[in-house]
Amino acid sequence: MNRNRVGGIIVGVLFFLLLLFTPEIARAIHLSISVCSEVLLFTIAAMAVNLLIGYTGVLPFGNAAFWGLGAYGAGLTIKYFHVGFLEALVCGTVAAFIGALLMGPFLLRRRGIYFALLMIAFGQVFYFVAYRFTDITGGEDGMNFARPLLATRIGMKDESFYYAVLVLFVLVGAFFWYLVRSPFGRALLAIKENETRARYLGLNTDRFLFVALLISAALEGLAGAMYGMSIMFAYPLMLDWHQSGDIVLMAILGGAGTVFGPFIGALIFVVGNDLLSNIISWWQIPLGILFVVCVLGFPKGLLGTALDLMRPRKTGFAFEAQTMHGTPLTADPESNP
Amino acid sequence: MSDIILQAKNVSKHFGGVRAVEDVTLGVHAGSIQAIIGPNGAGKSTLFNTLSGFYYPDNGSVRFKGTDVTRTPAYRRITMGLGRTFQTSSVFPNLTVVENLMIGLHSGAKMAFRFGPLPKSQRRVMHDKVERLLNFVNLTASAHRPVAELAHGSQRLCEIAMSLSTDPSLVLLDEPMAGLATAETERVMDVIRKLHNELALTVLFVEHNMRVVLTLASRIMVLDRGRVLAQGTPAEISRNSSVIEAYIGKQVIENV
Repeated sequence: MNRNRVGGIIVGVLFFLLLLFTPEIARAIHLSISVCSEVLLFTIAAMAVNLLIGYTGVLPFGNAAFWGLGAYGAGLTIKYFHVGFLEALVCGTVAAFIGALLMGPFLLRRRGIYFALLMIAFGQVFYFVAYRFTDITGGEDGMNFARPLLATRIGMKDESFYYAVLVLFVLVGAFFWYLVRSPFGRALLAIKENETRARYLGLNTDRFLFVALLISAALEGLAGAMYGMSIMFAYPLMLDWHQSGDIVLMAILGGAGTVFGPFIGALIFVVGNDLLSNIISWWQIPLGILFVVCVLGFPKGLLGTALDLMRPRKTGFAFEAQTMHGTPLTADPESNP
Repeated sequence: MSDIILQAKNVSKHFGGVRAVEDVTLGVHAGSIQAIIGPNGAGKSTLFNTLSGFYYPDNGSVRFKGTDVTRTPAYRRITMGLGRTFQTSSVFPNLTVVENLMIGLHSGAKMAFRFGPLPKSQRRVMHDKVERLLNFVNLTASAHRPVAELAHGSQRLCEIAMSLSTDPSLVLLDEPMAGLATAETERVMDVIRKLHNELALTVLFVEHNMRVVLTLASRIMVLDRGRVLAQGTPAEISRNSSVIEAYIGKQVIENV
């Protein structure tokens, strides 16, 4: 086991302990625990988006459709069918999954900016549906619903809800970690790097993209459903492209292409939104500046850049020495009969 | 003569009014090295793209191993045993050489669509295959470097190894020497020879470098303005007066 790996495990354990004791810390500094849940839920959403941006190379600018579908999927089933907590979670996830299933075949005909625009358009369709069907969705005012019981007579206060979110976060984080390291995840990375080449290695890239979209949608729907139950409310702006943009920014700010970068992005965003906006009304200006600096100076995002700085470069001097004394690559052709 | 592994019949491909490839018929014999030459704009790359499934032809048919693949998507031709490289090295620049090769190996072993780690036995098999490929193109020393950091010639060799990773029986090389220095050309030529001699693969390549073409190919096809100008052995082609006039130029032949 190398040093990096040990370091990674230590950081991971510390991170988990921090999350485990967050309610105590939050209480000590008079921070609302629901804000902490919000950070983790937006992290899951930004991770889902990151699967597409950072690992597959497509721009999901209409991703909030899945976030909102998750919330509405959970909210509507709770309101009209009085389902329990887990059922609502599943319904939200499935709603987002079906949304992606409907969009996918159209989206996959395009790449690059056209994919992004097409997805915004699809997302807006869901927004207008939620906005217009006032009788069912409550329209512009949104829709209140109760947070269901976890099981018979086991309710969930904000603190226990945070732990439910944490369990979800750990599961999704682990899933994501293995996913991007699996052959499937590697194939996605290959598509991001050079789709034509991926196809000429026998990969049906459309199929991989579609499955990536479905996974991403389901994860974001899961987070959205949980978020809806956290605030006990669903509203059309959750489906809007502004919301999509925010989640994309979280992913890029933290580090597209890193597993836990979105956590940093979500942390900055949510803390900024919930705390700083009460103190300084113009908090989005420094955020905008930070974003510009990040994109120009640290295209790998905050975590991506930090990881690069910590990682001893495999390709550095040690390697040069090895090539110099080993078989040099650009060998003199005369010496190879 | 041996079997024909790849056959194009009366293939045409037009772009608007441009007849990039017009009524081309060719057969590639299994186990041979064949070349396509022609001046710039003769339609070589278009023909290549039609054969490999990048485009579908407007007319005519393409058969690979006896199956009609005229409208078969590229990725499926790869799984049928076709490999190709591109004029400008087409690799995954930010991945290491090993990672580049792994993509194709997983794909070739029908394991790319797995959401979890490979079983240990499979990982060993993959590891051995990577090692063999690295040795084959002599890139072992650069195994863990991102391909973008490699010299141009090494990138080309990496691409050839990638095209081998799906275990093809026919490899299409689109101008394998484009942009290479003389020393690098020698290395790539050695590898192409090994494709034929050691792996018994069929090779079809497009190339401008006449010395390379005349040394490696057993059959040559000359394209000019989308049409077949001549076909034959290197000796026949270098004696063909219309080819010499249209394309090669007397001087070059005398120098070879």
